[in-house]
Amino acid sequence: MKKKFWDLFGKQKKKKMPALQNIPDKLHAPLHKKVEDNVSTIKETLGNSFDIVSRSFKIGTEKPVSAALFYMEGLADKNFVQDFVLETLMLDVRETDLGQKGSKTTDFYTILKERAVTNGVVKEIKDFQTALDHLLSGDTVIVLEGYAKGLSISSNGMKDRGVQEATSQTVVRGPKEGFTETIRTNTSLIRRRIKDPNLWIETKKVGKKTKTEVAICYLKGVAQDEIIEEVRKRIDDIDIDAILESGYIEELIQDETYTPFPTVYNTERPDTACAGILEGRIVIIVDGTPFVLIVPALFVHFFQSTEDFAQRSDIGTLMRLLRFLCFFIALLTPSAYIALTTFHQEMIPTQLLISLAAQREGVPFPAVVEAFMMEITFEILREAGTRMPRAVGSAISIVGALVLGQAAVEAGIVSSAMVIVVSLTAISSFVSPTFNMSISVRILRFGFMILAGMFGLFGIIIGLIIMVLHLTSLRSFGIPYLAPMGPFIPSEQKDTLVRMPFWRMKTRPKLISQMDMEREETQSPRPPEKEDPKN
Amino acid sequence: MRRKLTSIFFVLLLSFGLAGCWDARELTDISIAVGLGIDKEDDLFQVTVQLIDPAEIAGKMLSSRSASTVYTTTGHTIFEAMRKLTTLAPREIYLGHLRIVIFGEEYAKEGILDALDFMSRYHEMRTDFYISIARENKASDLLKIITPLEKSPANKIFSSLEASHEFWAPTKGVKLDELIASMSSEGKEAVLTGLYVQGDPEQGTNMANVEKAASPADIKVDYIGVFNGEKLVGWLNKEESKGVNYLENEIKNSMKWVNCEKEGRVSLELIDSKTDVKGSLQGNKPKITINVETEANIAEVQCTTDLSKPETITAFEKKAASKQESILNTSIERAKELEADIFGFGEVMTRSDLTYWKEIKKNWNQIFANELEVEVKAKVNIRRTGTINESFFDDVKKKSEMSE
Repeated sequence: MKKKFWDLFGKQKKKKMPALQNIPDKLHAPLHKKVEDNVSTIKETLGNSFDIVSRSFKIGTEKPVSAALFYMEGLADKNFVQDFVLETLMLDVRETDLGQKGSKTTDFYTILKERAVTNGVVKEIKDFQTALDHLLSGDTVIVLEGYAKGLSISSNGMKDRGVQEATSQTVVRGPKEGFTETIRTNTSLIRRRIKDPNLWIETKKVGKKTKTEVAICYLKGVAQDEIIEEVRKRIDDIDIDAILESGYIEELIQDETYTPFPTVYNTERPDTACAGILEGRIVIIVDGTPFVLIVPALFVHFFQSTEDFAQRSDIGTLMRLLRFLCFFIALLTPSAYIALTTFHQEMIPTQLLISLAAQREGVPFPAVVEAFMMEITFEILREAGTRMPRAVGSAISIVGALVLGQAAVEAGIVSSAMVIVVSLTAISSFVSPTFNMSISVRILRFGFMILAGMFGLFGIIIGLIIMVLHLTSLRSFGIPYLAPMGPFIPSEQKDTLVRMPFWRMKTRPKLISQMDMEREETQSPRPPEKEDPKN
Repeated sequence: MRRKLTSIFFVLLLSFGLAGCWDARELTDISIAVGLGIDKEDDLFQVTVQLIDPAEIAGKMLSSRSASTVYTTTGHTIFEAMRKLTTLAPREIYLGHLRIVIFGEEYAKEGILDALDFMSRYHEMRTDFYISIARENKASDLLKIITPLEKSPANKIFSSLEASHEFWAPTKGVKLDELIASMSSEGKEAVLTGLYVQGDPEQGTNMANVEKAASPADIKVDYIGVFNGEKLVGWLNKEESKGVNYLENEIKNSMKWVNCEKEGRVSLELIDSKTDVKGSLQGNKPKITINVETEANIAEVQCTTDLSKPETITAFEKKAASKQESILNTSIERAKELEADIFGFGEVMTRSDLTYWKEIKKNWNQIFANELEVEVKAKVNIRRTGTINESFFDDVKKKSEMSE
C-alpha cells in the first residue's frame, strides 16, 4: 500500500497484542482450606522470592490448629510481628485455652479476629489477589487450617527518610519542613496544620504493577464538589503500569499536554499545600515522592511564594512584582538584544550603540548565532550542574565562569554584552519560586530568539500575542488559567500582583471555592480608644 | 482532519524561514554616521559624512588613529551623493544616530529646501539631531576638525549646543521638526545657530590639534543665522541673538550683568523667564506688546554695596530690567533690518486679528520692517543673593589703603 504524506503525521496502527498470560487465573480464586496449599500457592506466585517470610505454627495445646503467617522482610516491621502477632498466637492463646474447653463458640477464626489479634487494622481476606496486595504493602497475612479465608494485620514498618528540610523551594522565613516519600507522613504533616473535621482524605491505588497509593485531600465545604469529582474521575481513568512520581499523575490528569505552561502546581512544602487546601484547592499526594500536586493551578500561583505571606505585606508585594518583572526579563532579554542590535539600531542610545559596536567589532557571528551559542552553553552548564556527581561540582563553576565567560570574550568569539545578557537571563529565571514555570520560560525564550532573529521587534510582539492568546485558552480543571486577570475579577486583585494585608483578604478565591466564601472577619488593628478621664 | 491541520501548521511554520532576515543589519556591517554636512559645489551637492570608529571610542585597546573619519562626495541629488559614499566607505552608512547636520553658508544662502525634504523623508533618520550653519565656511571643513575632550567632533557640537542652549541665552539649538514648522509657518521666519572654527582650520585637521592642552583650533557655537523663507539672509551677533530666546520663551538659565553705582559690575544668574507677547491694532497700525518677567539670583558682586537693603536690590532690578529692554530692542531692530520676522510676531497678529492678517499677510515682512510698533516692558525680580550677604570687598580695600 502506498503511504500517503498525511500518514507521516498520524498514529501508527496498533498491532493487536495477545493478552498477557502471566497473571494466573488461580490468583482470583478463593483461598484454600488447607494451610499447606495456601503456603505453597503464595510462595509459588511470588516466585519463591527470598524476602518473603512464611512461618507455619500451631495454635492451642489440646486441639492444636495449624496456621501460617506471611510477611515481607523489610516492608513489615519485624519486631512488631514478633511481639504482637506471633507471641500472642503462639504463647498467649495457648495459655488461655481460647476457644477450646467450655468455650461458647467453636468458630476459631472469629475468635482470633475479634479477640486475639491486638492490632488496630485487621482485615478479612478471601482470595489470593487480596492476600498478595496486602502482603506486598507490608501487611502480615495469617491463614488458618479449615478456613477458606485469612486475616491481614497492618504491620507496615518501612524505613523512610524522615521529615527533612525542603530543598527545592527554600525560604528565608517560614516553616522549613518538607514532605517525604511516605504518604502517611505526608498526610500527617497536613493534618497537623489543619485540625478541621472537614479536611477529608480519600485514597486510591493507581498503577497496575506499582499499586501506588494516591491520596486526594480537600476541605469539604470549601472546595468545589465538581472539581473534586473531576479529580476523582481523572485519577480513576488512569490505566498505567507504574506511577513512580507525582509527575506521572500530573501528566495524566492535566487539561492540556501540548503547552509549555504548567497547569498543575507541585510543591515539596506542607505549608504551601495547606494554603492551597484552605483556598479550596485540591491536593494530590502520591506515595513514593515528596512532591505533592495542587489543582487547579493558575498562572499567578506560580509567582507566589509562602514567604510573601510570612513577610510583611509591603515586602511581599515588592517581591512578587519583582518576580513578574523577572519573568519578562528571563523571557525577552536575549530576543530584545537580538532585535535591537540587528534591526532597530535607532532605538539604542547613541553612546550605548557605540560601545556595543565596539564590542561586536571582530566577533565573527551574527547576533542571533551568538545568542544561541551562549544560551545553549548556559543550558548545558545548568544541566551538567544538576546531574553531575557532587564531588566534581566545583569543576562546573570554574569551567563555566572562567572558560566560557571570560575566555570566550577575550578570544573574541562572543561580545561581553552578550555575556551580560545571558547572565541576566539566567539569574532572572532562577527568581521564579516554582521550578516548572522557569522551565517554560526556558523553552519559550528560544522561540522568541528565533522570532527576533527573523522579524526583529515585530517578531517579539507577534510571539507575545500568540503567547497571551494561548494562555487565555488554557484551563486548569475548568478554571481559566489567567484568572483573576482574564477574566478580570476586581475583588481578587488583593492577592495577584500585590499582596494586601491579611485583614484586607476577607474572601476566598471566587472561581476556585464557590462555597463558604467568607475567610475571616479580622478588622484592621487600631490603637485602643482612650478612656474618658471623667469616668 | 487533525492530521491535515497539523501539516498545514508545519508548512506555515517553515514558511517563516523563507522571509529570512531581510532587514537584518549586524552592528559589524554598518558605520555609524554622527555628522552630515551639505554644501553646494557649482551645480552639484557636496555631501560630507563624519563616521565614527567605535573601537577607537569604546574599544579595549586604543590606537593613535583618529576616532572619526570624514568622507566627501558630490552628486546631482543628495541621495545620489549619499549612495556614492559607499564607494569610499567600507560599510553601509547608517544615519539613524546623526547628531548634527551642518549646512555650508553658501548653500544656506541659496536655500535649504532640498536637504530638508531629504532629511524628513529618509526613513533611517531620527529627527533629534541639531541643525546649524557653518558661518563663513564650508560644512565639510568644520566636520574635519578634530576636537578635544569629545572623541567624535559631531558629538562635541551636539553637547555644546545642548549645554549653551541651556545656560547661555544667545545660542539656540534647532531640531528638524522645529525648523520645518517655523519655515513653513506664515508670519514666522526660521533661525539656525552658526558654527565656526576658532583658530587655524588647517591645524585643526591634524591629530596634533588634540595633543596640546589648549587646542590651536576648535569649533565654536555662536551667532544666529536668520532666514527669510528658505534662504539665509543675515546673522545676528551675540548681543542681538540674546533677544531671540527671550521672545521664544525658551530661557531656562542664563546670565547678565549690570553696573554698580560706582565702578564694578554685578552678575545675575537668570533662573526663570516668562515672556508674554500680545498683538493689537492701533488705528491701522499693528502693535506688539512684550512683557518679560525674569527671576534672577545674584551670582557675583564686584563692588561695595549693601545687599541687605531692599533699595539696593530694587535698584539692581531696575537696571537689569532696562538692560533687558535694550537687549530685546536691539534684536528686534536687527530683525527689522533683515526684514525677517524671526520672532513670530505675524503669528501673534493672526491670533489677535484674523481679518487684518488676511489683508496684509502677503507683504507682512515689509510691514514688520517698517510700520510695526513694538513695545517692550521688562521686569526683573531678584530672589536670592547667594551664600554670602555683604561683599568683603570693602574690608579688603580698606586694609590695603591703610597699609599704604
